[in-house]
Amino acid sequence: MANSDVAALRTAGSDGDQILQVEHATHRFGDVVALDDVSITARRGEFLTLLGESGSGKTTLLRIVAGLERPTRIARIAIDGEDVSAIPASRRNCTTVFQHYALFPHMSVGQNVEYGLRVRGIDRDQRRKRAEDALTLVRLLDKYGRRVHQLSGGERQRVALARALITEPAILLLDEPLGALDEKLRVDMQVELLDLHEKLGLTFIYVTHSQEEALTMSDRIILMRRGRIVQEGPPTDLFDRPASRFVADFMGVENLLEGTIESVQNGTASVRIGGHVISGAWSGAGPAEKGAAACVAVRAERVRLAPHGVAIDEPGVNTLPCTSGATIYKGKYLDQTLDTDIGPVKARIWDRGVDVNDLEALWWRESECAITSNENGAGAGSGDDA
Amino acid sequence: MTMTVPASETITYAQVRPPFWRRFMDGLPRGTGLFFGYGVLFILYLPIVWLMILSISGEPLTGIPGDWTLTWYEDVIYADIAQRDGEAYGSNFRVGDPLLLSIGLAFATSAACVIGALIVGPVLPRVKRRGPLLIGFLMPLMVPGIVAGVGLFMWYRLVINVKMGVWSLALAHFVWAFPFALLAMLVVASRFDTRLMEAAEDLGASRWQRFWQIEVPILKPGIFAAGFFGFLLSFNELPFSIFMRAGQDTLPLYLWIQSGAHNTTVPLIYAMSTLVTIVSIGLTFLAIKLAFGGGKDGKQ
Repeated sequence: MANSDVAALRTAGSDGDQILQVEHATHRFGDVVALDDVSITARRGEFLTLLGESGSGKTTLLRIVAGLERPTRIARIAIDGEDVSAIPASRRNCTTVFQHYALFPHMSVGQNVEYGLRVRGIDRDQRRKRAEDALTLVRLLDKYGRRVHQLSGGERQRVALARALITEPAILLLDEPLGALDEKLRVDMQVELLDLHEKLGLTFIYVTHSQEEALTMSDRIILMRRGRIVQEGPPTDLFDRPASRFVADFMGVENLLEGTIESVQNGTASVRIGGHVISGAWSGAGPAEKGAAACVAVRAERVRLAPHGVAIDEPGVNTLPCTSGATIYKGKYLDQTLDTDIGPVKARIWDRGVDVNDLEALWWRESECAITSNENGAGAGSGDDA
Repeated sequence: MTMTVPASETITYAQVRPPFWRRFMDGLPRGTGLFFGYGVLFILYLPIVWLMILSISGEPLTGIPGDWTLTWYEDVIYADIAQRDGEAYGSNFRVGDPLLLSIGLAFATSAACVIGALIVGPVLPRVKRRGPLLIGFLMPLMVPGIVAGVGLFMWYRLVINVKMGVWSLALAHFVWAFPFALLAMLVVASRFDTRLMEAAEDLGASRWQRFWQIEVPILKPGIFAAGFFGFLLSFNELPFSIFMRAGQDTLPLYLWIQSGAHNTTVPLIYAMSTLVTIVSIGLTFLAIKLAFGGGKDGKQ
């Protein structure tokens, strides 16, 4: 289904708007299929994220775009309208920021940043001027003469960023650039990267395994698994409308309840789980079919509590009787497990006034949960194909 | 502190009489190891220092230093020059040609070692089954020089028909020195982060630029070490040269022959050896300084 979406996009938008087109890329390492017939496009100026766990093929795809990996098979790869299948990495108009920085240890910060210009034969004065501009962009102008080993991890990654930006590439590729940084620094760098993206209007293709990073930064996310695209769309799509159980799980949905579809009506599906019927918007990849296995995805923060004797007087809600289970203190909130007759449900409680020992039921709005296919396997489409 | 007293009573092996080597080791005074180490250094350097002292003595063949003079050094230098000019001289010790040949061979070997090590060194750590390959490359280190010398002689002379003389000497010196040079290069090359080459390629560097601007500077300590080993091993080489000479004398070969032949030239050998030693030590320090002194950027 992902490929047909791409095809639809292509016919809808004009080609000039697309800075990157990858069509039917397959890559094998020996017997292992790292990338299985994947097609992607990126719009000019887009912040596109390739999301997935390790081994999902996201880095392989990025390296194919960079030219550092030659795909086993590919129909077409074009950067800014120009077919680059036969062009080596050194002559492609894109640069990479690596997770491990890959700064040249025998060069100063300035020499590292200037390297892309040096190999292009640009004279010293101009190199220096542009390097200073690039370092100003990442707020490291005062580090021009420093040695690489004198820098902190965050500074090194910013130097790598300046080095990649100096040649003014059409696309900036970022391969888990924040992976080696600690938590606090990572959050700061996310903001910095977003600012930079806005300021430069450059196309960013960003590889990460962190759904939180992807949600914060992207215009569009492509979620990958075992070399195939599972779902693609804006962050809100992946967050609120997961195309399969796998996507919901990957995007951090805490409660995944399994049942069978009982009825479908106007995009709303009702699922029978034990003695209960739960309704919500259908977000699966294909059409919902009566009798098929489905998964109800509810985030813990959407689950509300009804104390004894307090009526839920709202239409369109799902209700489950429950008793209180284990509580985990998280500082800002509590993670409360609630036991129901269809298994435990996690709720996130922000209100300290709630007495969790005096509960009658838990409930959530139908509009705040997604019903999706119970698929946990490779591609979203593979179940329908079979 | 008090814990040790009951412990020694309860542990039974303390009562057993220890074997003689343990009693011997336990009986050695503190610092014995260090003393022994200094002893080895002393045995190594004393003859060299003694030779240097005798090289400036008036009667070196008596083995008694004294009557200080630089006459032997004068002889080393002037004997060759005088005979070259067709003049008769007191001694027929002519070290000029062997010295030039040895220096020439050393430079050639050094260059060949650097080039060879630079080709093989960076590739070897990335080869999949490199164990046997590595052993293959380093095996010549373990073959006795005389054995390899005879083997090479037979091979060059009878099978591939290399012109014996300077060429066979150069080839033999390279065969001898290359494993050492490669080993020195491997120490650096095995730590080389090949992802840097990818980063350079990604930034637009051509193959040559990646080699010249990234690989060579980072491998610089290995390059210096390989060149240095190549030079010194060739310059000091004797066993291979014996078989490969075909009328050509290298400096060690000449000194070796002279020391066995004429009593009168022995004092000149002392002087020449002293000169060679001093220059060698000087070169060694220079090489170490070049390779590692200014190499702060090579380390991270």
